[in-house]
Amino acid sequence: MNFLRRSAVRVALAALAVGLIFGVWNLVIFAFDLKAYALPTPQSSVATIYDRWSTFQPLTLQTIGETAYGFLIGAAVGFLLAVVMSASKTVQRLLYPTLITSQAVPIVAIAAPLAILFGFGLLPKLVIVAWVVFFPVVVNVLDGLAHVDQDLLNLSRVMGAKRWRAFLAIQLPATLSPLFSGLKIGATYAVTGAVIGEWVASAQYGLGTYLQTEAGTLDTKGVMGATILLTAIGIASFLLVVAAEVVATPWRTRSTARRGVGSLLRNDERKGARGWFGSLLQSRSR
Amino acid sequence: MAADAPRVAVEDVTVRFDGAPALEHLSLEIGQSEFVSIVGPSGSGKSTLFNIVSGLLSPTSGRVLLDGRDVTGETGHVGYMLQKDLLIPWRTVVGNIVLGAALTRGATSRDRAEAAALATRYGLGEFLDHYPHALSGGMRQRVALMRTLALHTDVLLLDEPFGALDSQTRLDMQLWLLSVYEDLNVTILFVTHDVDEAILLADRVAVMSERPGRIVADLRIPLPRPRDLDVLTSPGFTELKREVLRLLHKPAAVVPA
Repeated sequence: MNFLRRSAVRVALAALAVGLIFGVWNLVIFAFDLKAYALPTPQSSVATIYDRWSTFQPLTLQTIGETAYGFLIGAAVGFLLAVVMSASKTVQRLLYPTLITSQAVPIVAIAAPLAILFGFGLLPKLVIVAWVVFFPVVVNVLDGLAHVDQDLLNLSRVMGAKRWRAFLAIQLPATLSPLFSGLKIGATYAVTGAVIGEWVASAQYGLGTYLQTEAGTLDTKGVMGATILLTAIGIASFLLVVAAEVVATPWRTRSTARRGVGSLLRNDERKGARGWFGSLLQSRSR
Repeated sequence: MAADAPRVAVEDVTVRFDGAPALEHLSLEIGQSEFVSIVGPSGSGKSTLFNIVSGLLSPTSGRVLLDGRDVTGETGHVGYMLQKDLLIPWRTVVGNIVLGAALTRGATSRDRAEAAALATRYGLGEFLDHYPHALSGGMRQRVALMRTLALHTDVLLLDEPFGALDSQTRLDMQLWLLSVYEDLNVTILFVTHDVDEAILLADRVAVMSERPGRIVADLRIPLPRPRDLDVLTSPGFTELKREVLRLLHKPAAVVPA
């Protein structure tokens, strides 16, 4: 019950935030006496989305596809890179400067050569989205792997741990929280990547291409409609990552496991389980 | 297994780090089911000694024997517990207790049932499915000790396990550990700074010197078991405490001119 109430409050606050943004938007139009062709009101922009939904729908799906696939590829590449880099200091020193360089290069500048390389289909867009997404993932996951407590690794050695089991039980789960931090940053960048990709390399229409052509004809309502849709995709991506995080890292939000050992505690099983422990229980002869 | 060999024997161990000796000619024997406390000044190499016994570190010279068998530099023979509980945040209490099994051969439902039985017996029954962050410091250390017990090695090295707890909780934990020890057939090597704690728990108190560490005194603690809170205020206890304190804080020798 408490959980529902807190959720309701949060949703209400989020709605209030959107309302505030639209309020300020209207205020600016009123204060500077902006004409509708310069800056349409949020209401009319949203209405445009509704009116032109048959146009917008395929564009939106196209951009969502680019964003989602590019995001997944970028996340996977980033994660694997981080794991490989953490395994060897040499590989890490070799690759890190390369990765930083990849992000220092203006993405708009390399987008054009990418289009020449990969043509005008889906591929260059996926590459560009993955390009902006993988970096925060690598950096965060590497940090996570580097900060696994050395005493914990020593303890696992004392326990006689197999190396790969220790990796699966200790190091890999330790990357989850930093992974999600990286993914949250990546999720918001991904949409920008998709739009840039569409601008430089588009045969198929997406929201980004639509944005560009409508800006050319001073169709500001269309531009603002597409912008609102793009923003919505970005926010939705972020929220999806947050939701995935809550599911994947239950220990951060809950005090007990969803599926515990409660069933193991039936008495018959407990007796059977005494085993070694029973032999320790002693009648000490001191 | 040699007959009558001590459960744990540290034989003439010397450890040098970059030439500087941390332990020098240190020997110590611990019998089966014995509880030995080690006290000593900061930096006397108590934790180094534990790293040697656990096999994390190989000595420059000397040997470590378990039941007469040379295990110098080998891990996986003893349980180990530090001041930091080192519980894994994404594992529940039971999940943490079976960590040793999970890291070596994979934890089975039997391991989990055994862990649940162990935890229930020693006061963690309500917390089996809790994540560590939902537990108090004392509870977390209990889980850490259960994890150490579940390794199925009956030699336990406890390195200041209660050092980070407030004094009230610490006393509770000491009494709890006494009950666990008196209940189970385990051999414990216990490092502490706290002289009261050392005497209250142990059968013997070994006093270490300043760096390079050696055992300078080995005292029997003939207080009867089972022990309880009253031990702390008994005349015998005070007598032993005076002696340990005297050994620990010898007046500095004056070098003649």
